[in-house]
Amino acid sequence: MCCQPPNNSNDLERNYIKNIKLIDSAPSTLPSIGITGGEPTLLGDKLFSLISHIKAKLPETEIHLLTNGRAFADITYAKKLKQCGTDNILLGIPLHSDCSIDHDYITQSKGSFDETMLGLYNLERCGFDVELRIVLNRITCQRLPQMANFIYRNLPFVRYVAFMGMEYTGYTIKNHDLVWIDPLDYKDQLETAVCELNRWGLNVSVFNLTHCVLNENLWKFAVKSISDWKNEYAEFCDECALKEKCCGLFATSRKQSKGLQPIKVILCE
Amino acid sequence: MSKEDLFRSIDHMYMSPAPHLTMEFQGGEPTLVPELIKEGILYSESKREQTGKSVTYVICTNSVNIPDHLLDFCSNYNVVFSTSLDGPEWLHNTNRGKSDSYQKVIAGIEKVRDAIGEYKVSALMTTSELSLDHPKEIIDAYRANKFNSIFIRSLNPYGLAKDNEDWPRYFDRFVEFYKIALDYIIEINKSGELFVEELTTMILKKILTPFPIGFVDLQSPSGIVNGVIVYNYDGYVYASDESRMLAENGDYKFRLGKITDNYESIFYGRRVQEVSRVWATEYIAGCSECAYLSICGADPVRNYSTQGDEYGFRPSSTLCKKNMSIINHIFHLLDTRREELMPIFQRWITGVE
Repeated sequence: MCCQPPNNSNDLERNYIKNIKLIDSAPSTLPSIGITGGEPTLLGDKLFSLISHIKAKLPETEIHLLTNGRAFADITYAKKLKQCGTDNILLGIPLHSDCSIDHDYITQSKGSFDETMLGLYNLERCGFDVELRIVLNRITCQRLPQMANFIYRNLPFVRYVAFMGMEYTGYTIKNHDLVWIDPLDYKDQLETAVCELNRWGLNVSVFNLTHCVLNENLWKFAVKSISDWKNEYAEFCDECALKEKCCGLFATSRKQSKGLQPIKVILCE
Repeated sequence: MSKEDLFRSIDHMYMSPAPHLTMEFQGGEPTLVPELIKEGILYSESKREQTGKSVTYVICTNSVNIPDHLLDFCSNYNVVFSTSLDGPEWLHNTNRGKSDSYQKVIAGIEKVRDAIGEYKVSALMTTSELSLDHPKEIIDAYRANKFNSIFIRSLNPYGLAKDNEDWPRYFDRFVEFYKIALDYIIEINKSGELFVEELTTMILKKILTPFPIGFVDLQSPSGIVNGVIVYNYDGYVYASDESRMLAENGDYKFRLGKITDNYESIFYGRRVQEVSRVWATEYIAGCSECAYLSICGADPVRNYSTQGDEYGFRPSSTLCKKNMSIINHIFHLLDTRREELMPIFQRWITGVE
């Protein structure tokens, strides 16, 4: 999608130098490092020198690379990533729909669906682990069950599938009427999709959605996914029996679901 | 089979492009020559290590007299045993025409389980005309003997079974038998016990998943030559198990060459070229326009043995009628009982409880 918040200035070189310094100063015990954007593959070959640098300085650290995957439609680009020599990398790649028109509409880029799909195949061919990310919004949520079927039939090799609640900030606010939907309004489609993929043996999770807006069947798939620096809980969450297990809310979201409420009674599982 | 022919066959096997191989010892009764089995496995293992392929060994046996030393040997390699179990004692013994076959088979199964592991032995059922009236009893006999799956499969009109008089009637009854058996198995699964019907699982896998199945009878291009090849004790190579049965009756139509021939002249030889013209559902009449084209398979050997030519004639084909009826039934279940059955079917396909 986009960097949050959107940024039009060219800060590539400055940030690259800054990031190298950050890597150099990080402790060797750092469990995980995230590379995100914008779109990190826009760095071109510089992305590989960055990753090689991490590999050299922090060999134990897992790299989580968030990308739209389109650059990997070029198999030589995927092979270059392989040549960085790190097996300890997970690529988080969004797929917005099983329907190319919807996907391209959301990315606002014609042909992006085809490139992302080809990128996913090339990454699998090179042996990379991929986390498929489905961002839940008004446009895509109507086809979630079909999307699950599409993923199983076409991308059964992905390591993880994550359905992700939307953060209400940046372009989401600007496009409110088009993309915003209360999670309550897609909870049944989400349940169908998650349970279907789970039964096929895929590793499925739900990110960024509180237990109170999910059907109870999905509680076991919900993970604490929100980065600590922008994570908060509502006051009434203190009364909720599931607060400890719950991802809570985006402090950055300027709109929340109508369904937020403390869950007081837990039925026996 | 001579040792030379055995080793030569294994050489051929490793020339196959497939990364995963299955080497199946059939008879007669292969456990009557245990030393030959051992030599075959050892020779294959030496080649396996050189090539990096994976190999499963299957010993098809009546389980009556498996020597202890063969079991000891097999426990060191990836060997599974395949045996015959037709159902409850009275039915099995009637089918086999013996009074003590059942006891011996069950004892043999237990012996293999004790020696090399619980899941190292599987059983195949022969559905005789007598069996057709007893689907539940057969399934219960499998459960009682600690099997958690069954393969409901019909007789093939080959070899000895060819004497059966009324095949169209047999297949009609078989389809009814299959439906009753499947319904009963579904009820078993609904009660919480995992019990798999293999034929349904393979067809469901073709309908619902992107993955291929290894079942020779439901492939296009056909499973013969592409998925299976038979090296026979007579020194010749045959297109399939069924081709070998025809040869036993004096018909060498699907003899592809001698074991001593080179790989190319067998696998790319004139006879294989001929059969390849009729071995895909995509280009034979009655299949090419069928909705089940991608689910079903082409079987030139079966066409030849039942209809007199390899191309076959679908309107009067018992194979076509049987497969269509079974696939229809599975779609009917998916259509009318989807919510109820999908969790069970998905468990069968994935093997995850």
